[in-house]
Amino acid sequence: MDSILAASSTLDSVKHFINVACEPHWFLIISVLAFFIFLIGYRTWTKPIVAGTVSALATLFFLASCADTNFAKIVTKADNVPIVIMMVTVSFLLWLAFRQAAINDERMEKGEPLIEAGADDKVLVWPDLVYSELIALVLCTALLIVWAIILRAPLEQPADPNVAPNPAKAPWYFLGLQEMLVYFDPWLAGVVFPGLIIVGLLAIPYIDKNPRGNGYYTFKERKFAITTFLFGFVILWVVLIIFGTFLRGPNWNFFGPYEFWDPHRPAALLNTEFHDLFWVNTLGRPLPGHYLIRELPGIVLLGAYFMLGPVIMKWLFFRKISRDIGFIRYSVLCVLILFMLLMPIKMVLRWTLNLHYIVGITEWFLNV
Amino acid sequence: MAKKQLITKVWIEEGCIVCDACETAAPEVFEVMDDTCVIRPDALNAEFTKPRSEGIVDAAEECPVDVIKFDSDTVEVADEAPTEPAAAPATETQTAPSPAKKAPAAEPKKAAPQKAPASVGKTKAPSAGEPDPSIQALLEAATSRGGNAGIMRNSTEVPTSAQGWRATDVDNLPPDARQAKVVEAAQKAKKQSALHRRDFVSNSAVAIGWTAFGVGTGISIGPAFGRFMMPNVLEEPDPRIRVGKITRYMEMAPGDVNEDYKPQGIWMIRDEDRIAALNIICTHLGCIPNWQPNDRKFKCPCHGSGYYSDGINFEGPTPRPLERFKITIKDGIVIVDKSKKYQYELGQWDQPGSYILV
Ligand code: SF4
Ligand code: FES
Repeated sequence: MDSILAASSTLDSVKHFINVACEPHWFLIISVLAFFIFLIGYRTWTKPIVAGTVSALATLFFLASCADTNFAKIVTKADNVPIVIMMVTVSFLLWLAFRQAAINDERMEKGEPLIEAGADDKVLVWPDLVYSELIALVLCTALLIVWAIILRAPLEQPADPNVAPNPAKAPWYFLGLQEMLVYFDPWLAGVVFPGLIIVGLLAIPYIDKNPRGNGYYTFKERKFAITTFLFGFVILWVVLIIFGTFLRGPNWNFFGPYEFWDPHRPAALLNTEFHDLFWVNTLGRPLPGHYLIRELPGIVLLGAYFMLGPVIMKWLFFRKISRDIGFIRYSVLCVLILFMLLMPIKMVLRWTLNLHYIVGITEWFLNV
Repeated sequence: MAKKQLITKVWIEEGCIVCDACETAAPEVFEVMDDTCVIRPDALNAEFTKPRSEGIVDAAEECPVDVIKFDSDTVEVADEAPTEPAAAPATETQTAPSPAKKAPAAEPKKAAPQKAPASVGKTKAPSAGEPDPSIQALLEAATSRGGNAGIMRNSTEVPTSAQGWRATDVDNLPPDARQAKVVEAAQKAKKQSALHRRDFVSNSAVAIGWTAFGVGTGISIGPAFGRFMMPNVLEEPDPRIRVGKITRYMEMAPGDVNEDYKPQGIWMIRDEDRIAALNIICTHLGCIPNWQPNDRKFKCPCHGSGYYSDGINFEGPTPRPLERFKITIKDGIVIVDKSKKYQYELGQWDQPGSYILV
């Protein structure tokens, strides 16, 4: 009896520990760390034996966690199953790409031909390609039929314009956007940022004219490009989808994976404004009357971020790149990167300081 | 036995009108530049042009001014199975393109140089181990330029067709591609554009005329058209809603919220000294928040905005407080007018009509 009790209390403390680690700021920090640890040691991490062990452990952890009712309820919800699958596929495809990159990089160092060197990667459309497509088609259809039978599409009560489900979640592919809307005003998070994401992706071929890595896998030759892209994709999109799917509960509060989704759980989220922090808390004065003076510190801060950011980045690590790609391309690159980094910066500020706005000209709807 | 043309040399005579037809028909062979069309350097090689004979003949036929000329060998091919080329291919220079045989472009000589030579009288379906010469020819044609990936794998430089063109010896180019011709064509084009300048003036007069006409018509019938797009009868519920006797609201304690009229989009609230009607729509993105009596706040399920019972926002992303509706009393009955809203950040909550004093 005692041992059972002791075991359950250790189990509880483990769960508690994981719940805490899944608080958003820890989760973000841990995933960023994991991301860079993976990239630095990609040759080791992608070795089949290492990757196999890691994924076996992850599966074991996942299955064991399903013994917890709250966890099982979230991951087996019909809406959320695709996200579980997405996590698996994203990890697998990342592994696949980095594995080949690791092999190629090693071969390059030894002066051996690359994996792709033999031009026999050409296959005939008929029969090779058409056959594979046919098989894929049959398998997908079968999978979808089984899926549709086992996991019923969730039907809810008739829609009522005066009641929103709690939590009200966007479709999974928009959860990243919905998460952005928590930190920025709708005109920014709903219009400017999505627009910048698209424009930024379109701009990549104009900013980056380096032909290395075309047609073959490599990481060593394209460290910066691959890291930047994956940071945006994995950390700022996939992780946000995971937040939205598994960690956002009633009232759009964060809940740990083993936590009960209690709509009445108290949450102290009282907003602070940057102008209050500056004028009242630091200088100990009342807020200036005119909004421009009131918001001056925030405006200066943001201005410095965008004006000095490129210069500082150049000193720190972009010396060669900025010389290679020229002033205009470098400026565009910096603006895109700075906008991208604004996202995690504001997120962390919100989670730690409850910061509402850096610049909050509510009179004009100009809030950042 | 059928005759097949195999192109050994192709060139372009003067008079190209830059219509792009040839590049569409045989992109590997022709390159249409700004003022003339040239043969790509790769295509100066008979081994390159032979498998593409069909495309070249098509291009020659399609050229509207018939300036594409070629030399060709004619070989005999069995109707079904390719054979060794005829012993002495007849060389002829064609001055006018002739219709080509639409037989598969098989080039037996090049077909399988390293592998089994094509044997006479082979059947249509080649057995395993003996590659089908027509497929081999196609494959070789597809790989002879290396493919993009193939080129980049082995070198850091990316050769473009322009670089290749420049590197080729001018004397080996077909006559029309020589720089002199290009320059000549360019000068001709320049002269012509000078001639066109006079047209330009009259053209712009026409354009201005039509624009003016369009704008005038738009202004005169635009509003009528706009009205036409609107419904003739607009069925909108009366924005004025009767929410019951004033006495029931007088009984509320400060900070209380009455949710009876939420289906009509209204929360009746009691502030310190006044009664007001809140709009239930979240000012962030328009979800419907929930009143949480335990926490005494409205909490939005979409992005977590929170409002105090008087509608002031204090948590989450929303930029401003909930809106209030116009509220009046008539014969002891409270009437909320949803068509008139009062916004806190504009200082409107103190305007008469936005509240009833207790
Ligand atoms: S088809 Fe004839 S006229 Fe047209 S681009 Fe080719 S060569 Fe010139
Ligand atoms: S719509 Fe209410 S918080 Fe976004």
